Amino acid sequence: MAFTGFSLGALALVFAATALAVTVLYVLKLRRRPVAVPFSAIWQRVLKEKEASELFSRLRNLLSLLLQLVLVALLVLALGDPRPAQGSSGGRDIVVLVDTSASMQATDVAPSRIEVARGKIREMIEGLSASDRLLIARMDASTVPLSTMTSEPSELTAAVAHIESTDTRADLGAGLAFALDVLRDAKHPEIVVVSDGALDTDLGRQLDLSKVQLRFTKVGARGRNVAITGFSVRRYPLDASRYEVLLEVTNTNDAPQEVELTLLGDGSVVDVSRLTLKPNERLPRVIADLGGASRKLEARIRLGDGKSDDLGADDHAYALMPERRRARVAVVTRGNTYLEAALLLDEYLDVVTLEPAAYHGDAGFDVTIFDGVAPAPPPGGGVLYLNPPEVGAPVKLGRALQDFGFDTWDRKSQVLRWMAVENVQVARGHALGAEPGDRVLGASEGAPILVQGRRDGRPFVALGFDPRDSDLVLRVGWPLFVLNVIHSFAEDDTSYVSSFRTGEAWHVPAPSGAVSALVRDPSGRERELPVREGRASLFGERAGFYELRARPDAAPQPFAANLSDPAESRIEPAAALELSGKKAAGPLEVRVGARKQVWALLVLFALVLSAVEWLTYHRRVTV
Amino acid sequence: MSVLDFFRKASSPAPPRAAQPVDGDLFDDQFQKKLDSLAIVSRRVFAGRMRAERRSKKKGSGVEFADHRDYAPGDDFRFVDWNAYQRFGKLLVRLYEEEEDLGIYFIVDCSASMGFGGGKKFDQARRLAAALAYVGLSNLDRVTMVGVANEVVAHLPGSRGKATIFKIFRFLRDLSPGGTTDLADAITTVVAQHKRRGLAVLVSDLFDPAGFERGINVLRYNKFEPYVLHIVDPADGRPALRGDVRVYDCETGDEREVTITDALLAKMDGAYREYLAEIERFCAKNQVPYFAAPVDVPFDELVLRVFRRGGFLR
Repeated sequence: MAFTGFSLGALALVFAATALAVTVLYVLKLRRRPVAVPFSAIWQRVLKEKEASELFSRLRNLLSLLLQLVLVALLVLALGDPRPAQGSSGGRDIVVLVDTSASMQATDVAPSRIEVARGKIREMIEGLSASDRLLIARMDASTVPLSTMTSEPSELTAAVAHIESTDTRADLGAGLAFALDVLRDAKHPEIVVVSDGALDTDLGRQLDLSKVQLRFTKVGARGRNVAITGFSVRRYPLDASRYEVLLEVTNTNDAPQEVELTLLGDGSVVDVSRLTLKPNERLPRVIADLGGASRKLEARIRLGDGKSDDLGADDHAYALMPERRRARVAVVTRGNTYLEAALLLDEYLDVVTLEPAAYHGDAGFDVTIFDGVAPAPPPGGGVLYLNPPEVGAPVKLGRALQDFGFDTWDRKSQVLRWMAVENVQVARGHALGAEPGDRVLGASEGAPILVQGRRDGRPFVALGFDPRDSDLVLRVGWPLFVLNVIHSFAEDDTSYVSSFRTGEAWHVPAPSGAVSALVRDPSGRERELPVREGRASLFGERAGFYELRARPDAAPQPFAANLSDPAESRIEPAAALELSGKKAAGPLEVRVGARKQVWALLVLFALVLSAVEWLTYHRRVTV
Repeated sequence: MSVLDFFRKASSPAPPRAAQPVDGDLFDDQFQKKLDSLAIVSRRVFAGRMRAERRSKKKGSGVEFADHRDYAPGDDFRFVDWNAYQRFGKLLVRLYEEEEDLGIYFIVDCSASMGFGGGKKFDQARRLAAALAYVGLSNLDRVTMVGVANEVVAHLPGSRGKATIFKIFRFLRDLSPGGTTDLADAITTVVAQHKRRGLAVLVSDLFDPAGFERGINVLRYNKFEPYVLHIVDPADGRPALRGDVRVYDCETGDEREVTITDALLAKMDGAYREYLAEIERFCAKNQVPYFAAPVDVPFDELVLRVFRRGGFLR
């Protein structure tokens, strides 16, 4: 027996104090309530007989005192919360992994799968035996424990209330790894997966489930669902006033399905169309050449018969149109026609051209282009160095290069997007000395010639040759390169960046200079995030429109997130769970038995004794 | 009020509650009409100074023959019984019972115990006294009202005629319960103040620490005809008490600590009943008419039905 509440010494002290108090109260003669009677002579007659039994009455008083002391002892013992010593019983250690992925929002079982899952877990808690311990963990894209490993029904019931589904997919492998870690060294370990079974059973890692009893509690009845599994929007690069939308609609049913697709821009209907999907078809659809000033785009589908499918979470998709604002560009050059021509292609640029002598480090520009010069950069904004000189450049000049080209380049870089640089010929230039943290976007024979990085928090891109010494300026890629660099600095992206995907870590561009940002999620909940290297990082769990602000009073910067997961939209529940050839057993067995809450029994016993004492007192047995 | 004041007040004996004032309209007209047909039946004949509807011991000019006596010079010849002279050869004079008024004394107990229990006993006593007084007045009797506790606390001299009832109402209304009980002392004073004997109706709960017998005996020994109207409150025998209490006498202040149990309450009830039986036995033994008047019996029913059945009213 161990005391998890007060220690034995403290209990002895408390008992001594309370017992003393009770005894003193008994010894003290209580002042009785005065009551008038009309004729005391009659009372005298009766009380004469009573005096004879005074001794017996004292003995009964002693019995009453003993009863009170027993009551005190029971209550003091209950304060100690005594429990059977660990390991003395064959109790199970159970980890319940409750699937909180998007598919658990399905309403094929009333009111929803997640609610049914809550009910099943409550039943498990009620069916625990006295020595069982249980931990509840939420399993979606991440695994989060909601309780400790405990046998306290109150804590477990409170944890059940915190089970909520998210708009992410479930990572069963991570969940099982977590459960195995928790159950390490447990004598009777069990893992219960409460899920619809729409899980990726290819765990992608080696997990030893041989020593663990794996159980599966199925939730869900059917899976009639049509989903939007892809949704993005982009502006046309050369006509940013217009845009096109890419949608993908997936029918997860074995029967053809007709759906109505609605596209909304800032809440107003932009396009409505009806689609007929074959069984299990993923149908991409492009809605091209759309115009308007809408920023927030939302796509909705509903079944052709007007009814809802079983999962509403993937019937909506959100995208955000890249903002078109005019970027201020300062060009410090002694004259570069190619550069000026490239800048003319984007009507959203306000270009100021300066002679190097006229440049005084003026602020207020989103981008500054130094062509063959490298004076002190202005505060704020990005800088593009073209053929930087030895002094003043953020990177050191390396060896001189002759007749070279791009041998390697970063194909994923935004700066080189849509460009084919493998055939660019350069007459002369210099290798650039990239520092740790810099990103080499292009290199020739191992020597960096295009470097991207940050200095003092200010982004830069440096090109190690004069474009006019190459055929780059004659290629279509030249204006793309200049505009890509400007857009990357101004965060004005013309690519398909319209939404993030839930269940992943997001790195959201934050206003320059911010060290933290406030993010408001679609439910209206706000939290503060640190900003590192110009981006705020968060783990996205909800689909919808988010807002990011550097300061509470700053203008919000929206961004969107979608589930966009065809696997998660396939919500047909699985009859069984099979992992590595091992089939999970059925639901948790109910074991009836007294819980280890000895304190409750003690309090109960004290109550019974108190009731007996009350009864005997009023029956005048102990008085 | 401070906490100390509160406890001081809570632990001090509560003063007995004042009796509820008797309703100004003790009897409505309908009730008085009913009482008109009733008269007090006197088991003995008392001498009176005025003619009334009662027979008295005084022989005189009535119409009902009572006795003979020897003729004495000066006697009225009209009362000589000539038939007896022819038979016995002796002059005898006829004596007739003279009808005279009856003196009725209502001795109302005004001690504190009468006010106990919300004054129900005191109210019952005053209503009964008023009703019987009205009946007496209706029969041309002389009615005297006396309030007693450990002494005479109030007195309304004897008077006749129905109109007196309003004085009696006023007298009874002004009485209030208080003080200890000493019926013997108080009644001794009453007897000393009233030489004329008659019917003495003692209206009391008979909670006399010195013994209920003494007061009744004073009336008996002084040639009054005592009537005992025992005002009984059943709650006195079965008080609504529980637990540990300190009981004290509302008159004497005598106190005793006691734990009230069901068993004790049963014993108390038994003792109270025994006390009532004791009073009844005493009255029966001494030929004193005894009538128990429970407070929970409606007043009019008590007067009209219970008393008639008991032979108190004609």
